[in-house]
Amino acid sequence: MKHNGLFRRATPEAIRTDRLADFSYLDPGVVYLDSACQSLRPQPVLDALTEYYTSYNACGGRVKYAWGRRVDDEVAAARQGVLGLLGLSGRHYAVSFTLNTTFGLNLLLQQLPHGRYARVVTSHIEHNSVFLPTMTAAKRLGIPRLLLDRAADGALLYEPARLERAIVVVNAASNIDGRLLTNLADLVRDTHARGGIVILDAAQAMAHERALLQKTDADAICFSAHKMYGASLGVIVARRELLASLELAFVGGGMVADVREDSYDLLPNDPGALLEPGLQAWAEIIALRGATDWIGRVRPGGRLPTEHLSALSERLFDSLSDIPGLTMVNAAASPVISVYAAKQDSHRLAVFLSQSGIAARSGYFCAHHYLKQRLGLPPLLRFSLGLHSTMADVDRAHDALARLMKGLS
Amino acid sequence: MFCIAAFIVLLFMAAISARYRRYLAKAASCTLRRVTFRPCDTTFKQDLKDHMLAPLAARRPGLVGPASVALEVVAFLVVLTTIWSGYVVVESAANLYVYGTCNKQDSASCSLGAEACSIPDQTPTFGESLAAWDVVGAFGNDFVRLGETFSAIPSRMQNWDASEYLPANATYLNGPDAKKETALEVIDPGCTYCLQLFQNIEKAGFADRRNLSYIAFPIQSATGYKFPNSLLVTQYLEALRLNPLADAKTPVDWQILKRIYTEENDEGVSWQSVINGADSAETTALLQEWAQEFGLSRAQVDTVASVAGSTEVAQVIAHNKTLVEERIHTVKIPTIIFDGRRHDGLVSVDDLD
Repeated sequence: MKHNGLFRRATPEAIRTDRLADFSYLDPGVVYLDSACQSLRPQPVLDALTEYYTSYNACGGRVKYAWGRRVDDEVAAARQGVLGLLGLSGRHYAVSFTLNTTFGLNLLLQQLPHGRYARVVTSHIEHNSVFLPTMTAAKRLGIPRLLLDRAADGALLYEPARLERAIVVVNAASNIDGRLLTNLADLVRDTHARGGIVILDAAQAMAHERALLQKTDADAICFSAHKMYGASLGVIVARRELLASLELAFVGGGMVADVREDSYDLLPNDPGALLEPGLQAWAEIIALRGATDWIGRVRPGGRLPTEHLSALSERLFDSLSDIPGLTMVNAAASPVISVYAAKQDSHRLAVFLSQSGIAARSGYFCAHHYLKQRLGLPPLLRFSLGLHSTMADVDRAHDALARLMKGLS
Repeated sequence: MFCIAAFIVLLFMAAISARYRRYLAKAASCTLRRVTFRPCDTTFKQDLKDHMLAPLAARRPGLVGPASVALEVVAFLVVLTTIWSGYVVVESAANLYVYGTCNKQDSASCSLGAEACSIPDQTPTFGESLAAWDVVGAFGNDFVRLGETFSAIPSRMQNWDASEYLPANATYLNGPDAKKETALEVIDPGCTYCLQLFQNIEKAGFADRRNLSYIAFPIQSATGYKFPNSLLVTQYLEALRLNPLADAKTPVDWQILKRIYTEENDEGVSWQSVINGADSAETTALLQEWAQEFGLSRAQVDTVASVAGSTEVAQVIAHNKTLVEERIHTVKIPTIIFDGRRHDGLVSVDDLD
């Protein structure tokens, strides 16, 4: 950090990094550690967006001219790219696009059929995107809502008998400490065995923990493209049977084959369209294809993305653990690490870190019930890594926070 | 306190730039809660402080604590000075309305009102009280003065009839005429603005249209009188009123006033200045000389001189002082009552027309 006097803004010095060339646009003075909120977009994704707007800016699914046909091709490829990342078959699953994870979960939960399910099951650690819609869904369906605990390793603690005809809605990876739903396979098996369904909030898992999701037998997986290097977009991957069972409340253009005075026919053989009323975010969908392609081929430092992030996570976890006065919320290293200082307000720390070019989050991260009510914790400070992150970023964040903690104590 | 200070500062900044208006709304909400003794329901205060301290935190984290305390102190001072400023504005506005001056204690120091010689308030000013470590007195006196001002508001709003305030033995510049409205001025013979008012009255022909009378009010100061010979002149004027010269077209007291206000000596110096710079013997000699010039015999002059120093005249002057201070409520000399209003300070020719 270059100091320009006591009260003038410091000019962050450029840092030598081994940052991926796809993020070369990033200001070297900024260390972005809020990928859990939204990841930075690699250049190919930005290029895909730009190309759509400048080369074939047409509506999809309804036009016959060349631009439109290309949009349709790209959108189909985007859907296929998502299924490919998850290792799922288009014969059993359909991909729908929407606004974000929260919207996707709501679209499913608020249109589930009455009478089929006996309870809604979720956990205390859920993001509000799950926590709140499960409340309204239970109320709408007139069934109880059951809150379960998660183990330190992320496993959902349940008795199989309590999953009878249950709608299980849980995250695959926590946005607080990155803990994973380690017993996902068992949960899906036990739930299905009792006539229930499992809907996953994969917002935090999709970018870096896809192995957990791949070939899962879950009934629906909701995630956000903007947390996995795509443009701002929500994605729902759902079983065709589940989609067919929905009591559709959100309908409109783009999902019907024919319309009469008092009735309509939905598009045949296109269950994904059931959750896509109206014109879609074509550019963002096309950019998602760029993101899935990019995630599939990127090799930071010649390593697999998971290896790269694992090394960074370990370094960040270890270095933060050594700072006196900080309490780690994480039990183990993860691309998402939350901490708090008993004597310092996390919001203040985040503002102060920002002055040093460190972009970290502070607050309860939409998990108020778990962090504030259940654990009684103060607002947290969260560092979340992405594939743009480097060791230098991690060290710089540590140094800035360590210096702050020492000076403020 | 920080929220309130921020609200005050943002109030001005938002008036200049829309950029600050969203912060102003937050600050307003926070301030409303604080002044109603509720905790602020937003992190506005913390956010603002953190952003202000962030540059320091990046360089000298150890100074953040003391700087945070300093910010609170500054915020306290901002709020305090704003409250005090608001109080002063209200007090000044009330004074300006009631007395025609924003500073009741020293009316001449206020440029917003008409020019005048001030009648100084003998009570210590706020600063003087504080300097004497009399904090209670500082606030107490100020609140008493504000109370007096507010209690005088009805008198300012009343319809002023000069004839209700005439002194005993009133004389008129051009003789009383039952058809004319009465006008009454409160003057100090030594006050230069009284001189200017008299000249304006003459230019406007004011006394031709009204029965113009006066109350001579020598302005007192901490050490005596503001103009050293004003009391002496006043004593002679009152003595002349008690012993009027029969058949004088213009009362002699008025003729003396007219000379003081409108004429000069051989060296081109106004008689008012001459008297203000003279000692009492010289002034006495001048007044007696002028009285003789205006028709009094030597014996009559001696009588007037004797009466001027009498208890009777002293009582008249004391009565007039009470009349000015407690009924007319003016703190500015000259003051003139006409057209149903009390005009504090110098009145222009146009306004006299």
